Amino acid sequence: MYATQIHDYLRTFFNETNCQIVADEGHQLTVQLTIDMDKKIMSRPFYWQYIEATNSEPNPAQLTLITDRTKIQNQFIGEVIHFGSGRLSQIFKATKELGSFVQMYEQVEPREGVQSTLTPYFCVNYKVSYYCDRTKEKIYSLGVNLMNGDIEDHFHESICQLKLADKKPEQAFCIPYIIKPNRALERLDLMIQNIINQDDHSWAEEANKRLEKEVEILNYFYEDNEDRPESYEIEMRGLQERFNPKIKVEIINGGLFYLQ
Amino acid sequence: MIIERSFNWREDFIERFNNDGPWDSWTLYKMSYDIEKMNLIPEFSGLQAPKFLTNLTILPHQIEAAQTVIEKMNGKAILADEVGLGKTIEAGLIMKEYMIRGLVKKALILVPASLQNQWVTELNMRFFIPAIAYRKNTPIEQYDVVVMSMDTAKKNPHREKIYEQDYDMIIIDEAHKLKNHKTQIYEFVQSLKKKFCLLLTATPIQNDVFEIFYLVSLLKPGHLGNYESFQESFAATKRSIEGEKYLKELVNQVMVRNRRQDTGIEWTNRKVQTIPIQFTKEEREIYDMLCDLKEVSSVFSSSFTMVTLLKEMCSSKEATFLTLNKMLQKCITKEEIDYIELIIDKLMKLEINAKAEKALEIIEKANDKVIIFTEYRATQAYLQWYLYTKGITSVLFNGKFSKSKRDWMKQLFKEQAQVLIATESGGEGINLQFCHHVINYDLPWNPMKLEQRIGRVHRLGQEEDVHIYNLAIENTIEQKILDLLNEKIDVFEKVVGDLDDILTNRAQA
Repeated sequence: MYATQIHDYLRTFFNETNCQIVADEGHQLTVQLTIDMDKKIMSRPFYWQYIEATNSEPNPAQLTLITDRTKIQNQFIGEVIHFGSGRLSQIFKATKELGSFVQMYEQVEPREGVQSTLTPYFCVNYKVSYYCDRTKEKIYSLGVNLMNGDIEDHFHESICQLKLADKKPEQAFCIPYIIKPNRALERLDLMIQNIINQDDHSWAEEANKRLEKEVEILNYFYEDNEDRPESYEIEMRGLQERFNPKIKVEIINGGLFYLQ
Repeated sequence: MIIERSFNWREDFIERFNNDGPWDSWTLYKMSYDIEKMNLIPEFSGLQAPKFLTNLTILPHQIEAAQTVIEKMNGKAILADEVGLGKTIEAGLIMKEYMIRGLVKKALILVPASLQNQWVTELNMRFFIPAIAYRKNTPIEQYDVVVMSMDTAKKNPHREKIYEQDYDMIIIDEAHKLKNHKTQIYEFVQSLKKKFCLLLTATPIQNDVFEIFYLVSLLKPGHLGNYESFQESFAATKRSIEGEKYLKELVNQVMVRNRRQDTGIEWTNRKVQTIPIQFTKEEREIYDMLCDLKEVSSVFSSSFTMVTLLKEMCSSKEATFLTLNKMLQKCITKEEIDYIELIIDKLMKLEINAKAEKALEIIEKANDKVIIFTEYRATQAYLQWYLYTKGITSVLFNGKFSKSKRDWMKQLFKEQAQVLIATESGGEGINLQFCHHVINYDLPWNPMKLEQRIGRVHRLGQEEDVHIYNLAIENTIEQKILDLLNEKIDVFEKVVGDLDDILTNRAQA
């Protein structure tokens, strides 16, 4: 992420979360945090505990974030923020939390005498991670048509092309769903399971082979011990934790979409 | 295979759906997706960490080391780069990579007490890893990344507290401190679960080839076989080149060792000279009398005491006097006491220290900043006085100094004094690239200590050739030390790999 990208990101983020931007100079941004945002990104739980326990006047922080340090003389006027910095990852975390569930409607052009109908879809963005002593991740954006049950991949990318808003357009009619969203969620979960099952898992076989080899070496070291000492068990546990293949499925976010 | 799923989102969604909201902002929703996409780890191989480390210049050999450890050694390795090539950077890079990949959350870093703060600063400032320095009563379970001194860690209650944690990664700096398998710290680390583990040392063998065996056995028990089979393979290195190659290859499967010359960086030369010195007649007389001590008195029957005294005599009368005076208290017969008092009397009358004169000559000729390493505090004080009488300013340095005092001394040396006189313990953790001359006033038994000393100066950032002067007095114990140092260097090169010049330039030898 370049300095300008980060700057734009921060500006949008604070605007969206109702934090007032006090000054914006293109490479440096001063923002008045709301109480909620202070709690999310300033990591000072003791302060908030104290304020709440004593019923004191809350004083959420005003932050000056420097996004391009090459353009400023005095570094002490604010906090330098860049890709990888702790503050930015807190802001990313807050973004994830505040952008989890949506309900959106496609904005159709009103046409005289014709009522547009909108079909309901349910979308979940999954992140699938493969773990052993290495990792690999994939994103699947699956959307299911709540009328006929058809599932499409790359759903997010395709709806990003559309004009969406969180209010239903006036003349439009939303067809009620046949498949309930919680049932749809089960279907998508099943779908992701199938996708994973059909994927190439040679990585897991290789990890198991690495594990076997290491176990062999370990056994050789202790072969003369009749009773294996505790250190053997500890070592073995470490090996298994390191190599045992695992798959993790996380949900990034998802929502209901009414589309033409 | 186990598939883990998180259920929070599902429950929350159903709740919002049933209540028809509240719904989140579409903009934040899209931003969240984009961030995930940007931070996605698309491949098992390759490094993700460098793109996050915008505050750090990572050198090619450091990237390569990190990749080798992760992809070829599966996350357990000895990082044995020569001093000054950035082992800390490599370790930080590997840890960061594992943290980004979600494989490491909790990590424990064991270091000598003097390096604790330096590690905490580096991890926080350069790697954005929120590490804390462990002090007594730190609630260890509340922190993910803890930097602790080895001496604290091995003792209770800290030891038990560590065992209760479930660390994903253990990093041990200056790991040669674990060379002895009978020590408390070795046994402590052996019983620690090591999922991912890095041992950092520029000197995997210091005195004895079994040190590498014990170090590897800590990391990966069985890799070098058991004690007997290792002994056999080492014996084979003496018999054949194949045997030597086999053992070296085995060691190199768990060890990354960059040498200065393979870094692709233009290194300045290291000019090493061993300078023979003649005792004055008076000094020689006392030295010989000291040698005879073991015949005069049983107090001196221990060879350790004798060696210490002889080494001290090669250093300064001040150092000799302190030990001798202590021994005098243990003597009983008049004969013993008279003999020692005679030596002390002669010591007092000594006016010339041949070695100090040589050191002065070198300093004057260098006409530049010089570091002198000595093993004795008494010599350190004497040298400061001696140089002062010759109009040369100096500052003292030792490992017991606090962080702020170290920094202050370093500053004084840089800006005002011509000479820094350091004792052995000052050898680790101070970087003095602005200096180009090192005098080893006394020789340690261990070649790696010499390497560590030289490494203070001959490291990344040094712009000029570095001159090393090893002082040794002829026909004394120092001659023997030189021979022994050569033997040890030979063992190191057989098992680990080549070393940069420590004693004399190979070309001349």
